[in-house]
Amino acid sequence: MKRSVWLLLILALVVVYPLLFTTPFLQRLGALVLLYAIAASAWNIVGGYAGQVSVGHVVFFGCGAYASMAFFTHFGWPPIAAVPVGMMASVGIAALIGVPTLRLSGHYFSMATIAVAELARLIVTNVEALGAAVGLSGPVMPRSVFDLSFTSALPYYYLFLVVLLAVLGLTYWMENSRIGFYLRAIKDNERAARSLGVQAGRYKLYAYMMSAGLTSIAGTLYATMYGFIDPDSGLGILTSVKILIMAALGGAGLLFGPLVGAAILVPLEEISNNLLGGKGAGLTFVVYGAIIMIIARFYPSGLLKLVLDRLASAKPALSEQKVRDVA
Amino acid sequence: MLLEAIDVTKTFGALTVVNSVSVSLGKGDILGLIGPNGAGKSTFFNCLTGDLMPTSGRVILNGEDVSLMTPEQRAVRGLARSFQVPQTFETMSVLENVMIGAFLRTFDPAKARRRALDVLDLVGLVDVSSSVAGSLGTPGRKRLEIARALATDPEILLLDEAMAGLTATEVRQAIELVRKIHQTGMTLVIVEHIMEVIISLAQQVIVFHQGHQIARGTPQEVTRDPAVVTAYLGKRAAADAARGFAGDQT
Repeated sequence: MKRSVWLLLILALVVVYPLLFTTPFLQRLGALVLLYAIAASAWNIVGGYAGQVSVGHVVFFGCGAYASMAFFTHFGWPPIAAVPVGMMASVGIAALIGVPTLRLSGHYFSMATIAVAELARLIVTNVEALGAAVGLSGPVMPRSVFDLSFTSALPYYYLFLVVLLAVLGLTYWMENSRIGFYLRAIKDNERAARSLGVQAGRYKLYAYMMSAGLTSIAGTLYATMYGFIDPDSGLGILTSVKILIMAALGGAGLLFGPLVGAAILVPLEEISNNLLGGKGAGLTFVVYGAIIMIIARFYPSGLLKLVLDRLASAKPALSEQKVRDVA
Repeated sequence: MLLEAIDVTKTFGALTVVNSVSVSLGKGDILGLIGPNGAGKSTFFNCLTGDLMPTSGRVILNGEDVSLMTPEQRAVRGLARSFQVPQTFETMSVLENVMIGAFLRTFDPAKARRRALDVLDLVGLVDVSSSVAGSLGTPGRKRLEIARALATDPEILLLDEAMAGLTATEVRQAIELVRKIHQTGMTLVIVEHIMEVIISLAQQVIVFHQGHQIARGTPQEVTRDPAVVTAYLGKRAAADAARGFAGDQT
């Protein structure tokens, strides 16, 4: 009961945020937080819940982004109309990568996903129809409202918010259904899960495909907002790492973990970019590296988990002694 | 026959760990597998569960050849197991651990939850159902594994040293639990080091030594078998046994 009151309060704050903070910078910042929260929440399904750490999620992000720009460039579609195309391509690619690599344990799966992402970047850089190294642009002037090309960040903010709520709703449903339980079991102990009839390979693949499809939506939204995509922004390894760190920092495997991570990291990056200008681009990598080390050393389950544990330990819990007595 | 193993052999390279072992179990039977460390009983056990595929021979479950099936396929067909070193889902609660098992037969979380609570009641863990599994000690974990396996609604339960690492009192409680489970009509295969456990539970015992089955029969027959005494206690003890001094050694 109390939890839902808190959630409603936070939701209300998120809804009125761009009306309270009306400067273009802060509105755009808010929209970016939501956009990356979508991508990180999508990653969370396979990386957090199923514990299969994909470091190549930018492939799916790129799929969505490139689908929207390519279909606009070649066929004149409104960028957002390419969402189903991007999703289908992403789910297909996820199946192709997942079937052979999800058998690999831990780090090997991560490495395989990096390899595929870098391969995709190199291929796209050389494909003329996808703009090669130069990239593709969206509509210069909006032809209709369906092009979703706005100067203000406000419409994007609410569009992203709706999509994020949908993604979180789907994740919440998953968390509380059989597949969610199975994914957590696989993450904890795959051998034990299999002994209980869990078809581990199949469930990991489902999670990967679902995650890929949703990540692709984030890519399409990104391209729609920026109106431009090139191999670095659409398929660069940095975006993969960014998505992963946001989820891990906030709390991988927790519903709101990625949102918390995005709300911390996106402002950090935007502000440092503003302060340092173009010269600071390399610094982002340094900061990410430092964050990875800090998470791994001090908060392996993420910040949100830390806060939740603090709150839980404040309540009178079952004492350790009682647990031992009964067990 | 509910479960049959026919000439099951498992080799790792040149090493034959299980050499042509056959068993058959009817509904409600309890089979004990004993033998010194490295005798091959765990390997044979894992061939039954699907964690290992036999090099040759067949495993028949309910009339179906499952020799080449994965553990998850065998679980669906009614086979459940526990692990020698407990493999609980450490970050999940006790209740959630058991729900994973219950989900094998239902999609509905509410039904899985009810089933899990029933099983937790049976094994005596219902009071700690909301604790994290990682907070349990060894006896609790072993019970949790049995509960989890039972929640899959199996026809046959295979316990891999379910009593190892328990104190004498805990062993007695665990034996009581296994009896209780058997009374529900469950068929059981038990791998065990502790003689007391096997003697008080199993109707049929197979003794392993260096990959071979060296004896088979009721616990009483097996413990008097000279080959078994030799394998366990050495040749001199076997000679003593033959002269009738075996009473205090077995």
